Amino acid sequence: MVARSTTAATRRGSIPAAAGIGLRFQHHQAVVDAPPQIAWLEVHTENYMGGGASLAYLDAIAREYPLSLHGVGLSLGSADGLDPAHLERIRRIVERFEPGLVSEHLSWSIADGVYLADLLPLPLTEEALVLVCRNVDRMQHHLRRHVLIENPSSYLRFKHSTIPEWEFLAAVAARTGCGILCDVNNVYVSACNHGWDGSAYLAALPAAAIGEIHLAGHSLRRLDDGRELRIDDHGSRVVPAVWALYGEALERFGPRPTLIEWDSDVPPLDVLLDEARQAATHLERLEKGLAHAVAA
Amino acid sequence: MLSLREVQKAIRRSVVLRDDSDAAAYIVDDGLPAERRLAVYRNTFDGSLTTALRLSFPAIHRLVGAEFFEAATQSFVHEQPPHSAWLDEYGAGFAESLARFPPAAALAYLRDVARLEWAVNRALHAPDVEPLEVALLSALSPADHERVCFVAHPSVSVLELAYPADVIWRAVLAQDDAALAAIDLASGPVWLIVERAASGIDVTRVGGQAWRFTADLLAGQPLGIALEAAEDIDAPSLLADHLKAGRFSAFNLAHPAAMPQGSSQ
Repeated sequence: MVARSTTAATRRGSIPAAAGIGLRFQHHQAVVDAPPQIAWLEVHTENYMGGGASLAYLDAIAREYPLSLHGVGLSLGSADGLDPAHLERIRRIVERFEPGLVSEHLSWSIADGVYLADLLPLPLTEEALVLVCRNVDRMQHHLRRHVLIENPSSYLRFKHSTIPEWEFLAAVAARTGCGILCDVNNVYVSACNHGWDGSAYLAALPAAAIGEIHLAGHSLRRLDDGRELRIDDHGSRVVPAVWALYGEALERFGPRPTLIEWDSDVPPLDVLLDEARQAATHLERLEKGLAHAVAA
Repeated sequence: MLSLREVQKAIRRSVVLRDDSDAAAYIVDDGLPAERRLAVYRNTFDGSLTTALRLSFPAIHRLVGAEFFEAATQSFVHEQPPHSAWLDEYGAGFAESLARFPPAAALAYLRDVARLEWAVNRALHAPDVEPLEVALLSALSPADHERVCFVAHPSVSVLELAYPADVIWRAVLAQDDAALAAIDLASGPVWLIVERAASGIDVTRVGGQAWRFTADLLAGQPLGIALEAAEDIDAPSLLADHLKAGRFSAFNLAHPAAMPQGSSQ
């Protein structure tokens, strides 16, 4: 059974259910000089909050490609609430580019006014759920649009958590009307680190709310005692186990915009395009299967 | 009942101050001690901010080397952590922190190079603001000219430095060892204007008097007062240069009562 419907909440806009890549500074010039064959591009919102050359590049690039804005620093899980100045900076960029998708994370990064430069996991409690929903409501109200919220990779869990992460994410979507950005690599990394079942995680998410999928590489850190911790560093190719889980995700959710992310040791553009082609192959296979099912 | 705020405060202390005492008690052990789990986030904090500062201070990084740079940034990061994820804005206090960093005590010019790099960083990321249209000034009655207070374009900074940081900065980024060896650290102060131009970032040396006049105008001093203080320079042609280069974004008029008696018309 493949869910093909998409709610108005995910507002996919001009981002097609095809493969895109995360654009970083290293490739600004190359993309402007010789626009590659790619269905859409996503950038980190925080990299375009000033003016000058970066913003000029993005203006040029947004004329050629559907654009998605992916935020990494609004800190939707902060007990202190949202930073109004940061939210307003996001609003200005959204207004300028009218991106097909706007997304953020189910995590927190700011405490006591200090930015901790990472996407930290929340204690998954009713208190946190109410708070995240309030902050997502506030974000959506300020931006006057629905957003997607991404599941994080995590390396720790809290003793007092009471709600499984997949249920928490589904509840945020149900209560706020936001969509879900399903990062399949993050599902895999967290599942390995915490002994969860990645397939069961996907199965618990509401298919209609999934507005985008992320894929990336991660690294394996072997600890002194022989234990392993998977670290979501976006510094390598997508591993086979994550491609397999991506195949499952497509079967469950239907074709969705799929992004290749790479943030550390960013490789030549061709490597990213090659990864995107692999995602496209999965999407085409699914589309063919669907066409076949409809014809039958 | 443990509140979310308590948890986040404890984790901030763990990540920024390396104090795991409260945070560790809240975390599931599951075969890997909480301290080890927290260390993953601390490493990301240290690493991401060092990378952000390396991108903003590339000449300092090359001058002191990776190890020294990391130690200097760690000292700064723990003393003045960032407040938001807009990291282009992070690093304003790095030059002063570097000046207080004991291992840098013998390298007095580092602070000036860092101040220059911060001005370059500001110029790179300043918001896009249209420069002042000269026609708006021409429309003023000549009697009002002395009361004009300019608003600096956000990309423009002026620096008065004890060391020739501009030459050091260029030589280091060009990896020009001959130029670096030829630098005379005792050559006296330099006065710089740093700004974003169409072709990139411009760092221009000016004379001390011209710099003072420019700094007065950029700080919003009324034109009449800045002209009064300007000695031995062709202030009108300097002002014309500033307008042509787009160093102001707007102006307003000082109240007549704020003007000194008998200042130039």
